[in-house]
Amino acid sequence: MNKYKDMKTLIKYATITLGFISSLFFVFNFFLFAKLHPKMIRFEDISGTEENLLLIVGIGLVVFLTFYLLSLWRIANYLKNAKEIKSYNIILLIAGILSLLFVFSDWALLTDIHRQHKYGFDQPEWLLLYPIMIFQFITVIVSVFFHLFSTTKKNQLKNIEKDSNIFQIAQYVGITCGVLGLALSSLGFLYSRAWSLTIHSVMGPIILLTPYILVVIYWFVIKLQERDRVFYDEKQILDIGKSAFLTLLTSVIFMISLFITNFSNLNGIVSILWLPLYLFFVLFIFSSANLYYTKRS
Amino acid sequence: MKKNNQKFANNLRRFRFENNEISQQELANKVGVSRLTIHSIEKGKFVPSTYLALKIAHFFNVNVEKIFYLSNE
Repeated sequence: MNKYKDMKTLIKYATITLGFISSLFFVFNFFLFAKLHPKMIRFEDISGTEENLLLIVGIGLVVFLTFYLLSLWRIANYLKNAKEIKSYNIILLIAGILSLLFVFSDWALLTDIHRQHKYGFDQPEWLLLYPIMIFQFITVIVSVFFHLFSTTKKNQLKNIEKDSNIFQIAQYVGITCGVLGLALSSLGFLYSRAWSLTIHSVMGPIILLTPYILVVIYWFVIKLQERDRVFYDEKQILDIGKSAFLTLLTSVIFMISLFITNFSNLNGIVSILWLPLYLFFVLFIFSSANLYYTKRS
Repeated sequence: MKKNNQKFANNLRRFRFENNEISQQELANKVGVSRLTIHSIEKGKFVPSTYLALKIAHFFNVNVEKIFYLSNE
């Protein structure tokens, strides 16, 4: 028991420390980008020292990734026993998930910027990079405050035999991942020429589904720790059943509509997009319905 | 044919308070369901199975009809 407590304390301080280090990396990135951005859009050469400084940016991305993962784990752990899940907890959780996913887009944008500068192309990615990094920076600051001051025992329930909080959190995460996935997949209709089967329709869904898969694994571990090993109680089974039926009904309508609206061009972009669209639609409807039926009580 | 307007109702909240003000979470732990399920039963949004109703009645050491009944409202 003491070892478990020590481990929890260690993770708390590791998260807070990584939060502070991440903040420093963000400040460093903003200063470096402010210096490099004008040079790169004028296609001036980058010095060897500046190239080396970009390696530090790469190290920073690993630090961000570790911080967001630890932070999300702590938030989920806190909410597991929370008396009440408050809206700011959910906002922080969703911001954390978005920031975690944005680490991958930071990496993709920086790689694109570097490549396009090298081959003498414009770099419109800068316009995306700054707002994303500002959002991630704000999330780090708010998360550090949360880990410092909000995770007190005052709002915690003791001895929960049958979980309902993580069940709800899984639905929030499912809705977030579903909406993001639908938005990303729908962009394929607008930019069909730039759409790649491997990156946008395989890697995208894998990355976007990762938070949902992680929260389901976390929920599964909690279930294994429960004494009776019954995964759902009878109300949860009823809610899941109703949600599954609604998902089946709406997904059939959705897929038929997709088929009809693309009937004249079934070999086009829809032949790549149908799977991610289906996956994220099902995830979004199932999670939304589950949350609705759970919250309705 | 006369329309049946009887609704499923319960005294669960009263029983909790009369039994040392036991919390929803404590009762949920005793009968093996989540707190939200107990909350839904009390609010009349969820009708428990016979098994769960019997478990709750058994916990309070009373007949099931003392807690769960049909109301004419």
